[in-house]
Amino acid sequence: MKTRRLSAWPAAWITALCLGLALVGPGLVGVAGAGEKLVVWWNKGYYKEEDESLQKIADAWAKENNVDLELTFTIQDDLGPKIISALIARRVPDVAFCFFNDFHISPKFAWDGKLTDVSDVINELKPRYIESHMSTGRLYNNAEKKWAYYAIPIEAQALGSHYWKDMVQEAGLDPDPKKIPMTWKEHWAFWRKVQDTLRKKDPAKYGKLYGIGMTESSRSTDTIYNFEQYLFAFHGEVITPEGKVVAGEAKNREAIVKTLTFFTSIYKEGYVPPDALTWTDADNNVNFNNRTVVMTPNPSISIPGAHFFTNKDNYYNKIGSILQPASPIDGKGYPYLIAVKQIIIPKDAKNPELGKKFIKHVLEAKNFLQYVKGSNGRWFPSFKDVGADTFFNDPKDPHVYLATQQHTKYPTRPFYFSYHPAYVQVYTENVWGKAISRVVTEKWSNEQAVDEAVTRIEQIFKSWK
Amino acid sequence: MSETTTVAYHGAPPRRERWLKRTLLGLTFCSPLVLIFLVLVITPITYMIYMGLDASIYPAVFSVPVFIQTLWNTVIFVGVAVNVKMFLSLVLSALFSQENRTARILAGVFLLPWAIPALPGILAFRWMLNGQWGIVNKVLNDLGFAGYAWLVHRNTAIGAAITYHIWKYLPFWTLIFVAGRRSIPKEMYEAGVIDGTSPLQKFRYITFPMLRNLYLICSLLSMVFTLGDFVIIKIMTGGAPGDSSHVLATLAYRYTFQMGRLDWGIGTFVTALPITLLFIFILIRWVK
Repeated sequence: MKTRRLSAWPAAWITALCLGLALVGPGLVGVAGAGEKLVVWWNKGYYKEEDESLQKIADAWAKENNVDLELTFTIQDDLGPKIISALIARRVPDVAFCFFNDFHISPKFAWDGKLTDVSDVINELKPRYIESHMSTGRLYNNAEKKWAYYAIPIEAQALGSHYWKDMVQEAGLDPDPKKIPMTWKEHWAFWRKVQDTLRKKDPAKYGKLYGIGMTESSRSTDTIYNFEQYLFAFHGEVITPEGKVVAGEAKNREAIVKTLTFFTSIYKEGYVPPDALTWTDADNNVNFNNRTVVMTPNPSISIPGAHFFTNKDNYYNKIGSILQPASPIDGKGYPYLIAVKQIIIPKDAKNPELGKKFIKHVLEAKNFLQYVKGSNGRWFPSFKDVGADTFFNDPKDPHVYLATQQHTKYPTRPFYFSYHPAYVQVYTENVWGKAISRVVTEKWSNEQAVDEAVTRIEQIFKSWK
Repeated sequence: MSETTTVAYHGAPPRRERWLKRTLLGLTFCSPLVLIFLVLVITPITYMIYMGLDASIYPAVFSVPVFIQTLWNTVIFVGVAVNVKMFLSLVLSALFSQENRTARILAGVFLLPWAIPALPGILAFRWMLNGQWGIVNKVLNDLGFAGYAWLVHRNTAIGAAITYHIWKYLPFWTLIFVAGRRSIPKEMYEAGVIDGTSPLQKFRYITFPMLRNLYLICSLLSMVFTLGDFVIIKIMTGGAPGDSSHVLATLAYRYTFQMGRLDWGIGTFVTALPITLLFIFILIRWVK
């Protein structure tokens, strides 16, 4: 009995010790390796080539500079919350790059004063930058009451549209991208016609085919992208560059109502898949690849890009890419909305200066070209010298060349959160997705739904004083 | 016995010293658990309550238009999912407590949903319910009925989440009730047979009274678990359409991990805390 009692002592304490070590162990390891250790959290690419090229660039730099580099790749849906948790808990990496930084993280945490001022890095890279990309890194720090660069923009995307050429041809229409009507009314009528014709021609095969794969869901960032891009087509604005809400002004309200009416009409008329109201960001890609939609607007060329590695015939011959149709208001073009992806250095980083050196190395033209090429044109580089490479300027490429033109030939504009961080909340609440749902599922009028959305935006901005 | 008496007579420590020794020994044995409990349970909960005491959070949380609907969704999700699941578990446990080969094989098959990881299970449900090419609509169409966009309407979207919850967790609670049924002395049923009771009377007068406490404890436990269930709604509907299918857990996740507003996330959870604590309080009282 005595022996048994004594043996329980070490067992209990060993259990506690193990649990204790599990809790504090990683911290101890971190302390022991501090100094020349650099922790980098990086967004896992869509294609393995992206990760491989960054790993190669990083390894070479770490070896050359004798740095103990801890580079981890995480998918965006996990990395965003991970970075936010780290910033709140103040247990952060030295460098963090996530595709959600611009949408959810940089503006809010710059506002809170939790990011390192990286103006020195930006100034050094300034001659190479595309101005509209660079400006998205300039954010307001409410803790120190100053504007500065708190994020380093590196690559961007803009809204294009992709379609199955063979389906268009089967509908008896010309699938050549140059022959797709690019005036507003005719453009959308074209996709309606493809759907109607194919459904009529072969109901068994195309009975459930939809002409327009438009994401209209409140759970997808694509909805925001689509809505605000087409809001520009209707000449509407939500806030000014100074951060003042102007959505309620008559001209803008009218434009927002028209934009919302466009989205809800194509849905209610049956040209958009019913589940588009619940799609995630990946679902328009899935539906396009499954050939259940003829065309889909998408904020990058990830759709044809994926086919490049698996099916060259699809990439070069069967999938067509086009830009956006002219404004229904004046028949002219309008700026392309660009989402510029950014690297951040948290203020609590242990080694921010080493982090800056690492970033500058990755962004050197020869290195960054390798990395960004790995994404196969999904991202357009924020640096003129990299963007000038033949990879981005080959007219024979039906997709990358077109995307390049969006950034080089046409005017571009940043998202509204570059003007005011409160807009991050507007995006997170997905007010436009909600407005679409109000009209489609709850039978509100477009005007009522817009008024609710505008009121909510005004409320959000008031709470960010 | 005589040996003990001898020891006590010659060298027994004073009463106080013995008490102290016993207490210290007990405390030493308990200390690892107390330490773990302090670090992993008490500290975060205390910190959460401390942060939740900031009254300025609540006007912001309550002013979000979706909050009231989210609260109501949570009540529906927890109330319907838990009660339907528990009732079905109780009924099905009768089948699986049969002592024959068929029941054992069926029980093995029945356990499969419990063994399937949540994520692929929810995604499979989502695809099955797709309005355009889901198998549910395909079957309906083949039978001559019109299809329906199940996840596009709030009621059916929440209904889908509840259905998945029941499908996934029914086997677990059924097993618990099977164990409960098997612990009922057979003599009671034998006495019932002698008295000429019908199967329904057996359930009413023997089985249910014997399982009553277990049923209530399981229901309360399940309510606590379900209240914090984030994954099903997040993956199945993501709050869509138009933020109408959120529950408190998904809304709190949005505030904390998408907006970086830990205070709002905590504020959202804290609104559910009184209900959770009430369940736990009743649970503890019942167990006593």
